[in-house]
Amino acid sequence: MISAHVTHLKLAGAAAAVALLATGCGGGSSGGGTSAPSGGAGGIQGKTIDFVGYGKDNPWGAYFNGVFVKKLEAEGAKIRDLTTMDPGTAVSNFNQAIANRPDLIVAALLDTSSMVVPIKKAKQANIPVLVFDGRPDPSTDGDVMQVLSDSEALGTAAAQNLVEGMKAQGKTSGNIIAITGTKSGFASQDRMKGFEAELAKTPAYKVVDVQDGNWDPTLSGRIATQLFAKYGCAGIQGAYGMADYQALPIIAAAKQAGCEVAGKAGVIVTGSNCFKAGIDAIKAGTLYGTATEDPGTIAEQTADYVIRYFGGQKPPAKELVKEERVTKENLAQFAEQCSKA
Amino acid sequence: MNNLLSAPARPEASVPEPARRRSRTEVVVTVIVVLAVLAAIVAGLSTHRFATIANAKAIITSASLVGIAALGLTLITIGGSAVSLAISPSVAAVGMIFLSAQSLGLVPALVLALACGILITGLQGAVVGYAAANPVLLTIATSFAIAGLATGISGGETVSPTGTGYDRLNATPGGVALSVYALVVLALILEWTLRRTAFGRTLYLIGENRRAAWAAGLPVGRTTAVAWFAAGALFAVTAAFTAAFNTSANVNLGGTLTFDAIAAVLAGGTPISGGRGSALRTLAGAVLIAAVSDILLLRGYSTGVQIMVKGLIVLLVVILVHLRAKGRNA
Repeated sequence: MISAHVTHLKLAGAAAAVALLATGCGGGSSGGGTSAPSGGAGGIQGKTIDFVGYGKDNPWGAYFNGVFVKKLEAEGAKIRDLTTMDPGTAVSNFNQAIANRPDLIVAALLDTSSMVVPIKKAKQANIPVLVFDGRPDPSTDGDVMQVLSDSEALGTAAAQNLVEGMKAQGKTSGNIIAITGTKSGFASQDRMKGFEAELAKTPAYKVVDVQDGNWDPTLSGRIATQLFAKYGCAGIQGAYGMADYQALPIIAAAKQAGCEVAGKAGVIVTGSNCFKAGIDAIKAGTLYGTATEDPGTIAEQTADYVIRYFGGQKPPAKELVKEERVTKENLAQFAEQCSKA
Repeated sequence: MNNLLSAPARPEASVPEPARRRSRTEVVVTVIVVLAVLAAIVAGLSTHRFATIANAKAIITSASLVGIAALGLTLITIGGSAVSLAISPSVAAVGMIFLSAQSLGLVPALVLALACGILITGLQGAVVGYAAANPVLLTIATSFAIAGLATGISGGETVSPTGTGYDRLNATPGGVALSVYALVVLALILEWTLRRTAFGRTLYLIGENRRAAWAAGLPVGRTTAVAWFAAGALFAVTAAFTAAFNTSANVNLGGTLTFDAIAAVLAGGTPISGGRGSALRTLAGAVLIAAVSDILLLRGYSTGVQIMVKGLIVLLVVILVHLRAKGRNA
């Protein structure tokens, strides 16, 4: 029995030594500074990319993946699909990607905290990492390349939509409720930062309640139902659902509470990243506006970044995707772009 | 057989309440329940804007979608099949079918949704009933299968309605959401079915002791399958209302519905072991959880605190139900 334990310990020690050697051989640091390290001038042909993106069971992720993978495979890259919507599985998949030693890991961070260690391990193994959509934990900010949604701009657009809508109704002041995505996530925090900063320019329009909707449409609708009961129709002039699929249940909740939506005096509702159902609601006049952050645009830009990186163009270490405010006025321009998910 | 089915084989039904000597545990449990209810009433009444008609409507509306699904789960639990862990993916899949069929009109879309709901959950019930499969393991596997199939067929995309008929489910006759009427009517029908029909009595007996039910020659497989079929229909009703409310549906439509429905059933005092419980208790459980969440929201507590308190309520009720059963057996 004891000898078996000793054998196990020896095996474990040997495995640890091999692992240390493997990671130690990786050596130096990658990234940092204002531009990304070059991926070499050989081009993308034949390069292996481990893709730890959002799972296909997420509509946004499904469309992103389709555009991103298709574009890079057309350029001759080999994509290994390690996508998932489960944060725990994402960590495992990222570790698997490190073991695969690809030319590049492209990752979406479902849980920024749990990805800190894997990103550090990739850096030790000298495997470059490109993060897309949401920003990484500040402790790993210099360790990865980034193509990010401009979350603050999305929050700013939502505030502009609400103020513009209420002003158009002749309201010089108003109470606003906000139902966010997962509150602990950077995407929600950054959007609220932009939202509140924009509203601070017009203090008569003030946020009276912020609730965590956890990117869940059903939960968001339930919260909205309670908030309309709490404040009454006269107590809410504007509502912000952080995604269109959260804004639409807010509209349904308002109607069920007997509150007028939009029109001459109804509550103004906005989203801040567009989906087809949101575009339809803008056309119908129930949703005042939204903003882009559509999966197609960021997928194109992320794929372009990868091509530039392997082409030796040294793209900037961090790129923000330009986000646009969408209302009925410019709907025709963005309807197609926003109807992909 | 008729004599056997003449009364539910529940302990409270088999022994007249006044004749039973109440154990000390039972007294303690009753006191705790009374104190908890009083505390909830005091907390509610002392919360600004809680005791208003608008807030009462909000509570019952919030409870309605979870409540209808929980009614379906009540059938499964009473019949001794514990729980289904495939409610959320089933609701999501049926919700997607419902919205994508809107071009056919509201009624055909509803019929299609009901048929799919009955099929998806009923098949699982048939396997549990006739093959005595473990319902928890089976529904875990099924939930992955349904989610995978729905993702594969839809390509992961969100389904938008192909017509406008769905919006009639968001109507508010008399100022109350249609889903609330549906919840109350379905709860009353289900309660009557459980108490007044041979099916209901058989279901209680199977839940109480499956082996004894077999030995007594009761149709265990068929009754279990029918219970799951009915549960599937109720999940489909939830799916239609949820999809109509959200105006779109994807594989995440069900959200936390599986655990919300389980919480409502358990908070209503239906034991996970089966053989006891009622539709009206589940209705009370759903309303209780919605009311407590509402009090916490009105008092400014975060969503996280609301979820934690929901868990504590369920835990407390499960302990009380366990203690009560133990007290009776003592």
